[in-house]
Amino acid sequence: MDFDIRPYDFVSALRGWLLLSAGLAVISLALALVLSVARNGAAGLRIFTEGLKSYFRDTVTLSSRRILAVARLALLEAVRRKALMVFVVFAVLLMFAGWFIADANERPELQVQVHVAFLLKSIAWLMLPAVIFLSCWAVPEDIRLRSLHTVVTKPVRRVEIVLGRILGLAVVFLAVLLAMGVIGQLWLSRRIPESARAALQCRVPVFGNLYFLNAEGQPAETGINVGDVYAYRSHIQGNSRARGVFLFPKFDESALTINAEGAQELLLECRFEAFRTVKGSEKSVKEGIQAQYTLMSNPREEAFGIFAQSETLRPTAEAFRNAEFRNASDLLKGLAERIRKAPQELRPADYVALHNGLLNAGEQLQRRKDERLTEVSTKFLDGAGVCFPIPKMMADQDAGLRVEIPWENLAKAVDEVAASVLQRSADLLEALPRLEVPLPAFSVAEYHGGDDASVNVTRIPRILRFVAGDESLARFLADVTTEWNAAGKLVENAAIRATLVSDLVAQAKISQLNAERLVVVVLGEELAAGKLSIAGGKLSPPEGTSWFVFYRDLISLQRLVSEDSEGWIIEKDLVKDLSKDGYLRVEVACVDDQMYLGMARPDLFVRKADRPFWVGYWKALVGMGAMLLLMVVVGVTVSCVVKSNVALFFSMAFLIVGLLHDFIIRKLMELEKGMGTFESAVLLMQDRNPEVGMDVSSTTLKVVQTADKSLDGVLWVFSRIVPDFGVFSKATRYVENRFDVPLVDVVLPALAVLGGFFIPCALIAGALLKFRELESK
Amino acid sequence: MANAVIEIRNLSKVYRDFWGRKKVQAVKSLSLDVMQGEVFGLLGPNGSGKTTTMKMLLGLLFPTSGDMTILGKPASDVSKNERIGYLPEESYLYRFLNADETLDFYGRLFNMTAAERAQRADELIELVGLGKARRRQLKEYSKGMTRRIGLAQALINNPDLVLLDEPTSGLDPIGTREMKDLIVQLKAQGKTVVMCSHQLADVQDVCDRIAVLFQGELKVLGRVDELLELRNETQIRTGSLSDAAIADVRAALAKHNVTNVEISRPRADLEQLFLRTVRESTERPGRRFSTEEVSASAGSGRS
Repeated sequence: MDFDIRPYDFVSALRGWLLLSAGLAVISLALALVLSVARNGAAGLRIFTEGLKSYFRDTVTLSSRRILAVARLALLEAVRRKALMVFVVFAVLLMFAGWFIADANERPELQVQVHVAFLLKSIAWLMLPAVIFLSCWAVPEDIRLRSLHTVVTKPVRRVEIVLGRILGLAVVFLAVLLAMGVIGQLWLSRRIPESARAALQCRVPVFGNLYFLNAEGQPAETGINVGDVYAYRSHIQGNSRARGVFLFPKFDESALTINAEGAQELLLECRFEAFRTVKGSEKSVKEGIQAQYTLMSNPREEAFGIFAQSETLRPTAEAFRNAEFRNASDLLKGLAERIRKAPQELRPADYVALHNGLLNAGEQLQRRKDERLTEVSTKFLDGAGVCFPIPKMMADQDAGLRVEIPWENLAKAVDEVAASVLQRSADLLEALPRLEVPLPAFSVAEYHGGDDASVNVTRIPRILRFVAGDESLARFLADVTTEWNAAGKLVENAAIRATLVSDLVAQAKISQLNAERLVVVVLGEELAAGKLSIAGGKLSPPEGTSWFVFYRDLISLQRLVSEDSEGWIIEKDLVKDLSKDGYLRVEVACVDDQMYLGMARPDLFVRKADRPFWVGYWKALVGMGAMLLLMVVVGVTVSCVVKSNVALFFSMAFLIVGLLHDFIIRKLMELEKGMGTFESAVLLMQDRNPEVGMDVSSTTLKVVQTADKSLDGVLWVFSRIVPDFGVFSKATRYVENRFDVPLVDVVLPALAVLGGFFIPCALIAGALLKFRELESK
Repeated sequence: MANAVIEIRNLSKVYRDFWGRKKVQAVKSLSLDVMQGEVFGLLGPNGSGKTTTMKMLLGLLFPTSGDMTILGKPASDVSKNERIGYLPEESYLYRFLNADETLDFYGRLFNMTAAERAQRADELIELVGLGKARRRQLKEYSKGMTRRIGLAQALINNPDLVLLDEPTSGLDPIGTREMKDLIVQLKAQGKTVVMCSHQLADVQDVCDRIAVLFQGELKVLGRVDELLELRNETQIRTGSLSDAAIADVRAALAKHNVTNVEISRPRADLEQLFLRTVRESTERPGRRFSTEEVSASAGSGRS
């Protein structure tokens, strides 16, 4: 199932549709003109113009009453011709379905999935034949039996007949769908065992972006492939620096849920795959492989991580990540020197990474809208601008062209970046804090059976209490000191306030022992040593240092070692502190040595508050309704120009191509091996697999490949005309998997496709019927 | 002089096959006018092009060349249908509807209000005598009943021009008589009627003017009474004569050198006999007529 929802851009879709429709209209008119001239000679132009005028007049003088009259006729016809017998088949299916699909031993979510999938697929596949038959049969039968003669000899525009037919059939099938939906809802709510009914839910997932850190902690696009031919999940190595990093953009308070106690919490739901290279301990076998989440706020990684795309620049990236800006500056200077002296030693890929790194860093820093970072971000962007054409120039040079590459300019730009980083290192440190909250490890369910353990749901309270790392602690203490100092809560009568320890315990939620250490040992001693000073009722850090740097130095000097055995436990707010810039970063690690954890992007998501299952169920039916109506539109349109059996054949082909659209595209893009139709036939006959290929002469090979190419051409044309029916069934798959159906991104595209086909189809069908001789012999 | 309701000029129709090759020329350079208020008949053997002509008038077929106007509008203009009623050769109606629904459906196509539709449906069902069968689906109708409801739908909009394709086909003599009476009635209301028929007697009974087509060409066009008048014969009709009176008549005609004299008892046509028999049987059920009675009643029925 494709959980990767692409945001639906209605405006650009509409623009594309308008362009396509205009193109289609121009081509159709040109074709009609040519045909008219070919058939009627000199009078062709006049006949074409009159026909066009008449068609336009018909189209703008539509009568709703006449359309409704035809619609009512279509409705009565469907009812009296027993088209609704499909309903009886549906009822029989539901009556006996329980014999085959019920298994109380299955996991609740599987039971829900099986029942919902059965129900929705039954509805779709029972209705589709009825829809196709009726819509392909109606107009040709009217023409064959000449019933249409008594209609078109009334003041009815032929486009009204098309619209009326479509409307009538649409009402019939939507009514049947509605009835089936209601019965299906009753059936589901009674049929699914009591124990599994809690699983009737619509989870609202927020998916993030996934990238990996390899065993050395360097960014990588994928993890390790553990040997699957078709790798869906990438694996991370256990007990190493390898991580799966899920980045959730636009994260805010709305992603949190309210628990039973009324407190806000974050739900993370995952379904990772465990891969063992050894059996592991008995405990490991019983409980599963251990995984661990770490919630991170690491803007330095976001800003500078891309440098690590290149082996050469990896140390620079590492230095930035660790906030070693002086070191990073030196490395950049060194790079500038290399560029000056031996630029060709670096590969074009290094320059691509350099450009990407500079650009990303510049943009990320600019996005923070921090005045202190304006200059440095500009330098990064300038550097990116200079670096951008270099790889292309190098390629041109390799191709023998005479190109003068501005190495000196690039070296100078990199130098400027290095200087700026050095100059602004303190600001960068302040502005790009790293906060790391490791969460307790949990067992990953490997053996999906029996209970709910196959899905891990981790509940994370909004207010996190955790053992602070060095930087987190320095940042926390700096924040508390700055805030309290500003409020005048640190100093009293030119000395540290006597109640500061108890205040810290009560308000900053740190332990008594650590508070005492901070106030008595550290602040007291530093004050006594004259490093800190009190002036104007405020405590001041040493000259030229920020509180953060002051505390960081103390930590590195082991002056702030926790007095508490648990360590420095501090509190942070998940939303305010960990996702300040709107990103939530969750790093997933595999704890167990020699084990691997497999993951793909949909495997971990933030689960918002669940929505009622039935809302999703009806949204899925809306998607299905759109598909049925599209088939009505297509069937009626085609049947206006060809006989019913041809229309039926065309509609079936349309449906099949639509259903296999994704497969066809993959085939045309040659994403799969051995997918040529004739090639597959030969392979089957020769009992060979696609990897080895056919055992034929070169002439036969050419013939087969040419035949496949020709067929591909036909498929290409079809795939351009026919929409991907996945757009309609997507909602169904969401509901089957107990996910909420996003209205804008999933339901709207289905309706838009329907509308996109309906308007041109109705106009084309109206024209085809108008300019068709109903009595032609 | 009455206005022309239909004007046809040099109308031709060629049927072509899938590849555009000429299959048959159904109508060849046809030109004629149909005047307002007349009953016009299109006659001809099968394949003579009369139905093709009518279908071109209705826009069901497109002419290969030539021009047509109906009620002052081109045949391709849908709005002309507001004032036209059409009864096809066979009643191609929706068989799953009943009479009321049928008339309601066609009434809706004329944008008539519900009240207008209901009133008009009542009138027409009464007119065509389907009062007892109005709730039955058309698939249960006999051929005659289907023709009647077909006629009703053609008149739903109270048209100015009525096109009837084989109006008496499938009707029993009573139905045929009623249809002909209705045509006359329509004419009396000032409507123009164009009909195609094989039933020459029917055409003769009701049409003011006729056109005879053969192999797509217009062969004869004119008023029925003028076309059928036998200018070199004289017919005298009286009550029954004795043999002596017949001899006197022959003698009188001989004086004027009229030798080719045929005096005999005229015969009624079968239609009149049938109609009278049915009427009398309805009035006096269970009675059987002798040959003499039939002969006498047929004679007395002549008007």
